[in-house]
Amino acid sequence: MIPGKYRSVSGRAANNVNCGLHLVIQTSSLPEKNKVEFKLNKDTSSFPGRLLQHDLERNYSSRQGDHINLVSSSLSSFPILQRSSEEKILYSDRLSLERQKLTVCPIINGEDHLRLLNFQHNFITRIQNISNLQKLISLDLYDNQIEEISGLSTLRCLRVLLLGKNRIKKISNLENLKSLDVLDLHGNQITKIENINHLCELRVLNLARNFLSHVDNLNGLDSLTELNLRHNQITFVRDVDNLPCLQHLFLSFNNISSFDSVSCLADSSSLSDITFDGNPIAQESWYKHTVLQNMMQLRQLDMKRITEEERRMASVLAKKEEEKKRESHKQSLLKEKKRLTINNVARQWDLQQQRVANIATNEDRKDSDSPQDPCQIDGSTLSAFPEETGPLDSGLNNALQGLSVIDTYLVEVDGDTLSLYGSGALESLDRNWSVQTAGMITTVSFTFIEFDEIVQVLPKLKIKFPNSLHLKFKETNLVMLQQFNALAQLRRIDQLTIDPQGNPVVNFTLWKYYVLFRLSHFSMQKINGTEVTQNDMIMAERLFGILAHVASSELPQYRLISILGDARKKQFQYLLESKGKKPGIINEENNDSKRLVGENTNRATLNYTTRDFYNEKLEEIKEKKKFCKTYIEDLVKEATEINMKNEALQKLWPQMFIELVRDAVIEIRNKNSYMKLCLQQITDQK
Amino acid sequence: MAKPKRKTQRHVLTYMEDAVCQLLENREDISQYGIARFFTEYFNSVCQGTHILFREFSFVQATPHNRVSFLRAFWRCFRTVDLLTMKEYHCLLQLLCPDFPLELTQKAARIVLMDDAMDCLMSFSDFLFAFQIQFYYSEFLDSVAAIYEDLLSGKNPNTVIVPTSSSGQHRQRPALGEAGMLEGVEASLFYQCLENLCDRHKYSCPPPALVKEALSNVQRLTFYGFLMALSKHHGINQALGALPDKGDLMHDPAMDEELERLLLPFLRLAQVPGLVNSVTASPEASCLPSRTPPRVGSPWRPLHHSRKVDGESDASTEETDESET
Repeated sequence: MIPGKYRSVSGRAANNVNCGLHLVIQTSSLPEKNKVEFKLNKDTSSFPGRLLQHDLERNYSSRQGDHINLVSSSLSSFPILQRSSEEKILYSDRLSLERQKLTVCPIINGEDHLRLLNFQHNFITRIQNISNLQKLISLDLYDNQIEEISGLSTLRCLRVLLLGKNRIKKISNLENLKSLDVLDLHGNQITKIENINHLCELRVLNLARNFLSHVDNLNGLDSLTELNLRHNQITFVRDVDNLPCLQHLFLSFNNISSFDSVSCLADSSSLSDITFDGNPIAQESWYKHTVLQNMMQLRQLDMKRITEEERRMASVLAKKEEEKKRESHKQSLLKEKKRLTINNVARQWDLQQQRVANIATNEDRKDSDSPQDPCQIDGSTLSAFPEETGPLDSGLNNALQGLSVIDTYLVEVDGDTLSLYGSGALESLDRNWSVQTAGMITTVSFTFIEFDEIVQVLPKLKIKFPNSLHLKFKETNLVMLQQFNALAQLRRIDQLTIDPQGNPVVNFTLWKYYVLFRLSHFSMQKINGTEVTQNDMIMAERLFGILAHVASSELPQYRLISILGDARKKQFQYLLESKGKKPGIINEENNDSKRLVGENTNRATLNYTTRDFYNEKLEEIKEKKKFCKTYIEDLVKEATEINMKNEALQKLWPQMFIELVRDAVIEIRNKNSYMKLCLQQITDQK
Repeated sequence: MAKPKRKTQRHVLTYMEDAVCQLLENREDISQYGIARFFTEYFNSVCQGTHILFREFSFVQATPHNRVSFLRAFWRCFRTVDLLTMKEYHCLLQLLCPDFPLELTQKAARIVLMDDAMDCLMSFSDFLFAFQIQFYYSEFLDSVAAIYEDLLSGKNPNTVIVPTSSSGQHRQRPALGEAGMLEGVEASLFYQCLENLCDRHKYSCPPPALVKEALSNVQRLTFYGFLMALSKHHGINQALGALPDKGDLMHDPAMDEELERLLLPFLRLAQVPGLVNSVTASPEASCLPSRTPPRVGSPWRPLHHSRKVDGESDASTEETDESET
């Protein structure tokens, strides 16, 4: 075969070799002009470093100088390389074929002891014809057109493999390269990290400018110190904590947006240098201190040394966040407990109502019950619930371990509002409230409590919470207008809110007017959120004014006394007498003030006795009534007897009178004998 | 003793018993007061009809006089309300008598609404007159209901019927089966039975002559039709003596005066400029929430417009209509 064209190839062995010493790579042709220093630890395999020491100072630029001939063999399409013997002796272990416009790897004969081979800046598409170079330590194929890693299976001594700026799509066929120290695959089309787990001596791995979307499968790289993953599309990183020696990790210009996606970094104790610039995460306000507080071992971030100050700031912020989280957790726990309690109270209330309404069907419901998860219960539903509290929601189980009993009532103070749920809460009014807390309360809210029970604690409310101006009632069984009478005993009410839910009285169109009428002395400002207008007051008076008048002036005195008690009686008497004295005088101011005061007292007789009390009273009266009945009957009997006797006497009297007279006349008929008889009687008496 | 005497005597006894009972209950208060004075006041209030105020239902219904007094009190106190549902009227009744039973109110409402749609609104006068009949003659009506049922089913009611508490208006109106195509019962037959009932009934009944009058111009009638006729009959109303005639229902000068006096301070306040807007307009416009139509003139003018409406009062800003008599 006619040999191919001769070419003189610069064989200057300006290779990038890493040995036990420094290695400098200047990638000047690449846009990023980073000078990467590889600092190696002392435990590298022994390598005749002395030989290559002077290589360190050399630039990585191609130079002509060596005399190498490329002869194309007639036997194959591959050119055959030949070097002059001088060259062979001078540079016996290195061969540089860069910028030789090679499209294929030439056959290299007689150079089996070669250790450094440089194929940079060619057009080679496949790695071939180098399997005989079994002593090769460094192979540089930077900037070629290689599409697949192959042909390396015999290079068991290979330490440095540079395949940057090629067209490699997949990492493969590196099985035998167990001594590999540096693997450079930057600028390729690799999408996945694989088939490198056996490279336990690999110290530097460069996968920058590839198409990686995530990082994992890094186990086995027990010597890896530097991992370059710049300019990929990485969204999450895993397995880094399996790299015991990793110190430098470059993740610049990827797609990492939260620290969670790189959370394994926090577990790596060896990492001291990391870059995240160019990622979305670096734009976040919490970026720096989050990274710092999660990676306390870090010394350098984004190529800037981390100062003590920054570290301190980070830990302080970390503590603050922890606090906040704990607080909010506590808050949510409390809220949950509150919600559960309120649900429980609601259930009790519903049961109670149903029991009152319909005992028979309630029994049926009890039988067919199935335990329900209390957390799913909406307090407003009226379906039947089991008597016992069901199992806690498993999600809260751990958190609520300490709260083994769900309360049947809830008392809550929230700024100026005191909320009471469930009748048990009423007892809490007896507690020792601090003057400050009690003084701040302006709103008291009652839910799931019978109004009749609330009535009984209203005096306590008056004393303990003197500033309560707004009362709210929900699910309190307000059914009669009279019940509002009970509110009159309070000191003052500015606002009243009666929630329609559970309070049938709201369905009456006149309820608001009645409230305004009965509680007119409070001059209430709002009812159920709407302002009270003058017209409302007038209407209320018009509707119920006569009732008040009747209740005060037409009741007999003794009724007034019994209803009001002695103290008010005097006040009343004064008023009524004065009314009587000045019937027609139009002294307007006097009248007005009296009217207004009178208005307050003239409806004082409109009281409310709770149903239970009322029934009790009626029961008591029954006894008395029975007694009265018998008493009166006896009196009547007596009276009729006396009457009868009287009548009988009347009838008999004429006759008796006549007889009396006749007897007397007969006696005196004979004067003499009568005189004698009388004298006889007188002497007999002595 | 003769029956009438027994009746009145019994009622006197009732009051005596009640007086003594009240005395016992309020022993401490009344002892300061003086027992003689107490009895005076008690019987005075019985005469005036104020003794039933805020008393328990068993007392309120004990005697006819009590019932009349109660009706009167209810009328006077709530003359100004109108167009409410049965439950709301019941609420008002409870204000005067805390344990007034819902049953009675329901029955009264049934009369007005002819047993339909119990949630309907009823005017005050309709309800009041129906309630009067129902409350005053409750026992009588129970018996009448029993008779009606029997007539409907074709039995001869001239046999002695003992009215039980369960009988009465709770029964639905029976389907028109044997009674034939026509509704209700024959008026004359019905009246005969009623007459018999009145003779032997212990409780008070409406005067038979007036009942006859009420039934005079109908051939057949239903139970509720009968009750409605009773309630609307002026004569019966007058015989009872509790309430004034329908036309005069809204007219109660004494109470009007009182009401004016009560409202005076409010209106004076209202006339302060800037304090309230539009108060000088007819306050009726701002009356009961959205249900009652705006009334013309003063509120204690009758709703039925049986009196001439004074054109002046439309523009009147005065609450007190002196011109109106």
